[in-house]
Amino acid sequence: MNILILTWEYPPKRLGNVSDHVATLAHELVKANHEVEVIVIDDWHSGFEDVYGVHVHRISNPVKTHPMASVLTYAMTAATQMEVEASKVIYFYRQHQKSIDVIHSHEWLTVPPAISLKHAFNIPFIITFHSIEGHRCHDNFGPTSMAIREIEDMGIWESTRVIANTEWLKNEILSYYGGGHSAKIDGVWPIGKRWVDKIVSAYKKAAGSE
Amino acid sequence: MRVLHLSWEFPPRIIGGIASHVFDLSRALARRGMEVHVVTCNFPGAAEYENIEGVNVHRFEAYSGGDSFYSWALRMQKNMERKACDLINSIKGVDIIHAHDWLSGVAGVGLKHLYRKPLIATIHSTEYGRRTGIHNDLQRSIHEVEGWLCWEAWRIITCSYYMRDHVSWCFRTPNNKLCVVPNGVDVTKFYFNFDYWGVRRNFAHDSQKIVLYVGRLVQEKGLDVLIKALPMVLSRGLPAKMVVVGEGSQKQEFQQLAGGLGLGDRVFFAGHVDDWTLRALYRIADVTVVPSRFEPFGIVALEAMVAHCPLIVAASGGLNEIVDHEGTGLKVPINSPEALAWAIVRVITDKGLRDWMVHNAYQKCLWNYNWDKIAEWTGGIYDAVLYERSTSPWKPA
Repeated sequence: MNILILTWEYPPKRLGNVSDHVATLAHELVKANHEVEVIVIDDWHSGFEDVYGVHVHRISNPVKTHPMASVLTYAMTAATQMEVEASKVIYFYRQHQKSIDVIHSHEWLTVPPAISLKHAFNIPFIITFHSIEGHRCHDNFGPTSMAIREIEDMGIWESTRVIANTEWLKNEILSYYGGGHSAKIDGVWPIGKRWVDKIVSAYKKAAGSE
Repeated sequence: MRVLHLSWEFPPRIIGGIASHVFDLSRALARRGMEVHVVTCNFPGAAEYENIEGVNVHRFEAYSGGDSFYSWALRMQKNMERKACDLINSIKGVDIIHAHDWLSGVAGVGLKHLYRKPLIATIHSTEYGRRTGIHNDLQRSIHEVEGWLCWEAWRIITCSYYMRDHVSWCFRTPNNKLCVVPNGVDVTKFYFNFDYWGVRRNFAHDSQKIVLYVGRLVQEKGLDVLIKALPMVLSRGLPAKMVVVGEGSQKQEFQQLAGGLGLGDRVFFAGHVDDWTLRALYRIADVTVVPSRFEPFGIVALEAMVAHCPLIVAASGGLNEIVDHEGTGLKVPINSPEALAWAIVRVITDKGLRDWMVHNAYQKCLWNYNWDKIAEWTGGIYDAVLYERSTSPWKPA
């Protein structure tokens, strides 16, 4: 399969756990003969790199200043630039008579570009949640936190499948964002051989080939 | 030709000047036979889809809330983009994407690359101009978004040569991407029957000469210069009465200035007035004065010209290009109460000059600032861009 991964961190950029999680997944997918394009927002290392078969497109945010260091405005402007890069990848695939089968988005920061790409190109997307805002914010219900919750909710709503990193997180997502999503959500423990098999199975379900 | 306009406001949602601009421009483009779609924010009571004189208006759910206007604007544009994607898919593609200011520019940038269609941007105003410089992170961030839009746009339309040079300087935009299409004014809205003296007596005594000011009450509009000119006019024995239409953050300062000069009964702060009264005011006023220090275009000048009201402007920004001195109005240096007083006295006392300027000004509006002409010029830009697009190596697969 041809997979487009959207993430906000990828080695060498490491701010949390998502970076190494995505890198491991990407390399395992390449080993299993899938084509993997990674688009990552990384202001300091922008450019293209082929890392042992993983095509990493590092992009930088064209808007450098963000008032009050707002993560929300950073995410929204970066989202558009991710769409720009993703569009280039998708058109490049078309030129070579190939297509992206599934978009894999990680965390809420990459939800907005995934939604636009889904609507523009009719490519299904799946989203992995490593954590959710309700746990991270320590009972903060300020406007920024509420906006992030809305974006997470929208991501769950618009995605074809949702992956939670543990069974526990899966149940938390269902309790935060509604049990109606239970049919499309999987709890996948991100360790071991079966991890990648389960992810690929989710891709296939999303792309309609299983 | 199928054109998609992106605008954050469209009647009945009217917040700034972009709403009426897009309303008039899109209808004029539709009259030229283009298929015009407008994607804009929803508004209580407005339909999700409607066809207004040939213009297809599509409204999407815009958020309310968020932690600031800026972050709201960016999230709103993600919804705008999604709505536009669904629209473009359902109508099987568009030829041109036309965004208005940064409040729809980010969505425009995304759509340009998603569909590989040329993006045209109209820059109505810049953050740099509005704030006379960039003073904090919020302003700098908006400034950078505007620069991003100018970078991505195939062509940038500005409403005056002044704004073209300003954008070129502000964002280092190459001149061959910039073109100038003026704003327009709808003549038909200004001619209706009304009770001349009945309206006039709400604002001035019958023997008084009305000096009209229309605009926000802020420093950049230069109302203080006009107030300082008034005593010099009165000292010539002319019974002038100033009518100030508009609101703004510096209203109190201007009121204090007028009071301090002993003009309490000579300057009437009318606040906001409805469109009908405003148009009637242009027709009863003896002179309209636009003393702005910064003005991207100066739509007030056009409104006065089309209503046959004599016009005096300060030589700033777009006003400089609209008015020909002693031809369609009088032009004075900015920041000069003396020159302004001289001009007011001259206009009020010289009937021959007044009639000559008013006649020329009206003709200029019909000729230059009419929406059908503007649509023709805009269509020419679309044609040029589509030709360039067809010969460019940037191809969809």
